[in-house]
Amino acid sequence: MQSIGNVIKKQICTFMAPRLRSIIEFLPQDLLAKTEEIRLRHSRPLILYWAGGESYLGKRGPTPSLREAYTVTGEDLERTLELICSYSLYACEEELRGGYLTIPGGHRVGVAGRVVIESGSIKTISNVSSLNFRIARQILGAGEKVLPFLFDRHAGRIYHTLVISPPQGGKTTLLRDLARLISNGVGILGQGGQKVGIVDERSEIAGCFQGVPQLDVGIRTDVLDACPKAEGIMMMLRSLSPQVIITDEIGRDEDVRALEDAVHVGVSVIASAHGSSLDEICRRPVLGLMLENNYFERLVFLSNSKGPGTLEMIVEGERGLPLYSARGGGE
Amino acid sequence: MYLKISGAVLIILATYLYGHNLSFMYYNRVRRLEELLMALEMFLTEVNYSLTPLPQAFISIGEKISRPVGGLFFDAAKLMQQNRGLSACECWRSAIKKNYRDLDLTRNNMDLLDRLGLIWGRSDKNGQQRQIALIQELLRQALGEAQVKHQKNEKICKYLGLLGGITLVLFLL
Repeated sequence: MQSIGNVIKKQICTFMAPRLRSIIEFLPQDLLAKTEEIRLRHSRPLILYWAGGESYLGKRGPTPSLREAYTVTGEDLERTLELICSYSLYACEEELRGGYLTIPGGHRVGVAGRVVIESGSIKTISNVSSLNFRIARQILGAGEKVLPFLFDRHAGRIYHTLVISPPQGGKTTLLRDLARLISNGVGILGQGGQKVGIVDERSEIAGCFQGVPQLDVGIRTDVLDACPKAEGIMMMLRSLSPQVIITDEIGRDEDVRALEDAVHVGVSVIASAHGSSLDEICRRPVLGLMLENNYFERLVFLSNSKGPGTLEMIVEGERGLPLYSARGGGE
Repeated sequence: MYLKISGAVLIILATYLYGHNLSFMYYNRVRRLEELLMALEMFLTEVNYSLTPLPQAFISIGEKISRPVGGLFFDAAKLMQQNRGLSACECWRSAIKKNYRDLDLTRNNMDLLDRLGLIWGRSDKNGQQRQIALIQELLRQALGEAQVKHQKNEKICKYLGLLGGITLVLFLL
């Protein structure tokens, strides 16, 4: 597997304007290795972010001084957007409407600028003023610790599970690895692979580029990329016969209805939601109702306390019994 | 005597060929403008029906239309695919530079080609359609003018070349 430094140089830099490319390419490997985001803002310094920190980037590399930082120009942004869109803004209209573009490797580029509205809905984003390169990282094995708690050995099925964490807490990384493990089969659980369907509304789980997953989500996995969750779940149920459906960030009424259908036809559901505690989730109208009705048999809590993806707790859904706690360990 | 006759034939042949080339240039211009219009139509089809990214659309056009017009698209696409960070406009201009000698176009026609560089892929589908339609309209006008010039000048050039050669030979003799 390529190191993150090489991934950035080979997959990210090729989509940047030459001046930015020359700055990023010569950054030290240790800095690139921990990079999570590269931010380009019009007439503002070029900034690189990692978990818990940031650094200005100057022509000679990282610098603590704002004065020495390279100021991103309109031309840099224009040129970079042109390269990301493969010189074809017309072909990226749909993605731009969603506020992001995906590039090979599954990396996502967030876009901000002037939003053009037509007939009450977003038509496109013009005059782009910010681009945010989010480096897609696959942490193989991120789900190994969690999966034994999600597997019903007697029935040979996966429990309906909700993964809960604050933003950037590692939800998507965990979902991706769970998809890979369940799909490929887990030897230690004596479990063969199951058919997994991912409804990837924001192209984050599988990091699809032109519909093809760029990250390893397993050999028995089908991905509906950029598909609204509710419609996607129904499409999956109708034609792809998944045993497990995985989807990100549920919360709307229609998501719940589609999940209900999946649960009733015996398909296991693994979903995620933003939140930092059970109380917070319970206060949200739709999710609260789902928890009240005991849709989820397992609740997995993640946090940033020891870096993204820190496993805090796994709770049995119906009775609220803790199965694992970071302080106390597992069952 | 033989020397004089062969010299005279050579002079007449040379001036006739010069006149013929000149008339061929008018014919070529008409053909190139027609091919350009066809290429733009193909591009619009690629945009409208399959939202093909610019480099692939250009390659597809380059494969269907012969050089030099097809070469414009093919060469620009190759530059785009080299990942050198060039803009679409730079790639297009570079392709024009490489092919312009064979295009036989006027300065005004070349300006239109250059303007295309500022349009390629820089707007949404509707914007792209409108901008290309405008350039197509201007190219159609240019084609009309080129056809008139071609009809007017084709025979004149050929005859002037021949007659000029004969006159020169008579004068020299």
